[in-house]
Amino acid sequence: MKVHNNGAWALMVPAALVMTFVAVLPLLAVLNYSFHDIFSLDKVFWVGTDWYDMIVTTPRFWASLGRSALFSTLALGIQLPLGIAIALMLRKIGPRGAVFMLMCLAIPLVVPSNMIAGLWLALIRAEGLGGQVLSALHLTLDYKFNPLHTWALILVVDTWHWLGLVVVLAYAGLSSIQPAYYQAAAVDSASRWAVFRWIELPQISGALWIVLLLRLVDSFMIYTEVMTINAGGPNDATTFLSLELGEEIKAYSYGTAAAQAMVDFVFVLTLVWIFVKLRQTADPEMVKPQ
Amino acid sequence: MTRYGLLRLFACFVLGGFVLLPLGQAIVLSFTATLEADGVPIGTIGFHNYLNILHRPELRESIGNSVTYVLLNVAFCLIAGLPAAYGLARYSFIGDRQFLLFLLAFRVTPPVVLSLPIFILFARAGLVNSPVGIALVHCVFNLPIAIWILESFIAAIPRSFDEMAFLDGHSRTGFFVRFLIPAIAPGIAVAAFFCFIFSWVEVVFARILTVTSGKPITQAITALFTFRTDWGLVMAMTVFSVIPGVFMIFLARHQIARGFVIRT
Repeated sequence: MKVHNNGAWALMVPAALVMTFVAVLPLLAVLNYSFHDIFSLDKVFWVGTDWYDMIVTTPRFWASLGRSALFSTLALGIQLPLGIAIALMLRKIGPRGAVFMLMCLAIPLVVPSNMIAGLWLALIRAEGLGGQVLSALHLTLDYKFNPLHTWALILVVDTWHWLGLVVVLAYAGLSSIQPAYYQAAAVDSASRWAVFRWIELPQISGALWIVLLLRLVDSFMIYTEVMTINAGGPNDATTFLSLELGEEIKAYSYGTAAAQAMVDFVFVLTLVWIFVKLRQTADPEMVKPQ
Repeated sequence: MTRYGLLRLFACFVLGGFVLLPLGQAIVLSFTATLEADGVPIGTIGFHNYLNILHRPELRESIGNSVTYVLLNVAFCLIAGLPAAYGLARYSFIGDRQFLLFLLAFRVTPPVVLSLPIFILFARAGLVNSPVGIALVHCVFNLPIAIWILESFIAAIPRSFDEMAFLDGHSRTGFFVRFLIPAIAPGIAVAAFFCFIFSWVEVVFARILTVTSGKPITQAITALFTFRTDWGLVMAMTVFSVIPGVFMIFLARHQIARGFVIRT
């Protein structure tokens, strides 16, 4: 049982100070810039909501938003079921094999993110191992000019990068299930699906919800990999929200970039809020103070 | 072996192949000469790419820079995170859940959203090109993680543990250093592990905050891409950049999967 004591805020001071300096102040600055036209840091003009009006009335913005949403849906649709399935399988192969596989799966998580795409490009270039296999099979991967191929490559690379996170946390959730649950299910001769739906899924949801949230937001704002692979091309087919924003910053249009950043931030915040609300309705225990 | 057993073995092989293929290719390339230089013909196998890293001062320095800011970041996150985690684990107070939600919101804010003002702010504060600047800015996503992990470990220790120490006349600081930190050592290790990894692989902030010097390993690799890219050297550098992470995974292999529940 926790003691109610508002003096505990004093303990939050160091963390709150750091967060204020590196997160709150910059965010307020972005908000401020977004209402201004900025030629240079001392030539700044108030433009009100002009940038926002411009953004929401451009078809380009909505197209990028649609592409980002589609990418997130595909990435989560592939990585979550696949990750859970792998975790279920690893539970069956014995702890030593499982730990070894988990270690392998975790390695992509520690590769610097600008090298993720680089590793894959090295693999699939003509002299690379993957490139040779593809040409032996008479397949061509034209990721520079064929939008379908670019999308496929980005999805494969993103899955390679993040699958480990889903598997590791799903596996942890599965390991914490008491054997008594499985015994009870066996007594009731429950089907495999029923065991998954009513025992395993509820038990791993706690560990999975944070993966889901992180993956949702990260895939929604994916930048580095896409930039390295084809810089948003061909023909803007992979220009996601973050690439749009990156373009604005590179072009030094600070005002529009800031407005765009605020719009993106609001999207991300809305996703988080929906998520927390869904989680609280799904698991009312979480709402009660402990 | 049963039919299912064979199937699982096959699935593990496919999965292992998928995960290790790009890395395997990178390791092979890192030992292969891919550009004719210093009289080493293309295709020669050997350590010359790794020796080249040592011969190029900008590559050597970048490794030092990365290690410096990552370690600083871990220190910042633990020092600022520990009191906050203790407060959240032991007390309820007005705005505690809002504070957690606030942390979550910034944990998931894409770096590219904050990159522009952070650059301007840090330039004014003289924190550009310095490892301290990068270490600070990485707190945006690492401090919340550190607080969550430490909180869950402190919450697992009964309150009576604290009260005993206070009854024995220890001050709060004394209690933190002599009792709490040893008791949650595994939690500190897990928090440090995640902060280390996330800071090590981050590129957006690390790039915008290093204009002329203090470049991290990730930037040094990007700079190697030219019209005649020496893939062997790039891959040697990449393999080098993955080693600390792989080493930490190995150390933490039995712990990673535990104690990572996030409360809001």
